[in-house]
Amino acid sequence: MIPVRCFTCGKVVSTKYEEYKARRDEGEDLKAVLDDLGLERYCCRRMLLTHKEIIDELTPYQ
Amino acid sequence: MEKIPSLQFEKEPIDKNSVRFILSNSRSAFANAWRRAMISEVPSFAIEDVRVYDNTSPLFDEILAHRLGLIPLTTGGDNNYLSRAECSCNNEGCEKCTVTLTMSVEGPLLACSKNLISHDPDVQPADPDIPIIKLASDQKVVVEARAILDYGKRHTKWQPTTVCGYKNYPSISIDARCDGCGQCVEECPCGILEISKRKVRVIEDKLDKCALCRLCEKICMNSGIGDMPAIHISTEEDRFIFNVEGCGSVSTEEIMKQGLMFLKREADSLSNEIRALL
Repeated sequence: MIPVRCFTCGKVVSTKYEEYKARRDEGEDLKAVLDDLGLERYCCRRMLLTHKEIIDELTPYQ
Repeated sequence: MEKIPSLQFEKEPIDKNSVRFILSNSRSAFANAWRRAMISEVPSFAIEDVRVYDNTSPLFDEILAHRLGLIPLTTGGDNNYLSRAECSCNNEGCEKCTVTLTMSVEGPLLACSKNLISHDPDVQPADPDIPIIKLASDQKVVVEARAILDYGKRHTKWQPTTVCGYKNYPSISIDARCDGCGQCVEECPCGILEISKRKVRVIEDKLDKCALCRLCEKICMNSGIGDMPAIHISTEEDRFIFNVEGCGSVSTEEIMKQGLMFLKREADSLSNEIRALL
């Protein structure tokens, strides 16, 4: 799961992940997407850029 | 006579949780005390204890509890809650100091903070769409979370601010030796310089964007102008640019106000102590 907040500054970034994912998969420019989402600082930007979603691979285990 | 401190707000705030303002006629001691008060002495709600009744999700109970703790909860300025330390319930948790939130979800579902049901409508997740856990079919989570009021000095989850800082107001002067070579214009990472009539000058209204990095001074020296650069960066010691950003739990106005009230209370108690000694 995407971390709730930015590790460094504490801004809530998890709410932006669904939109980020959808627009990334459409092949949009990531810089423009992050700017649109209001992620100004590079600490918050890396939270989305470097996230790898593995929750679906863990689903079979409880 | 000393000048009276004043505040000047930027015309258009970037969003409702972020504010930029200029504090004039003040001192760095006050600016820093206020900054620290806003970060660590303004109370807000956050989830502290989680009771897990059922968790068949792929995440451990501890991860789930950690995610719940980081959710900002709205905290009004005029709430009547007490912090645990002030409350008479002896750390047990009563309705004067504790808000209970419950979440009962079954998959397939992406459980969000809106699934957290609070018993007090004034203390709610600040954003309804914070994802907590993704559940597949036949997975289930039932938790009861208890939120308490506390201060940022104890844990960052109670900090009402994310970014809260200041810098001195920049002051840039360009002397007569400037030959308008334009190297500083290219070097400036903030893009605040321009060339006009073969001289460098600061673009109007962009002076406060200066990051005080002094790269312009360095490149000016390297251009062979001599021992001293033609552009000089300094700061105004009594003027500060503040940047305060809230996480959604407390409004920025309330953060600023309560930070100042804390400083006033501390100053009052200090002056009472001194008076008692005399």
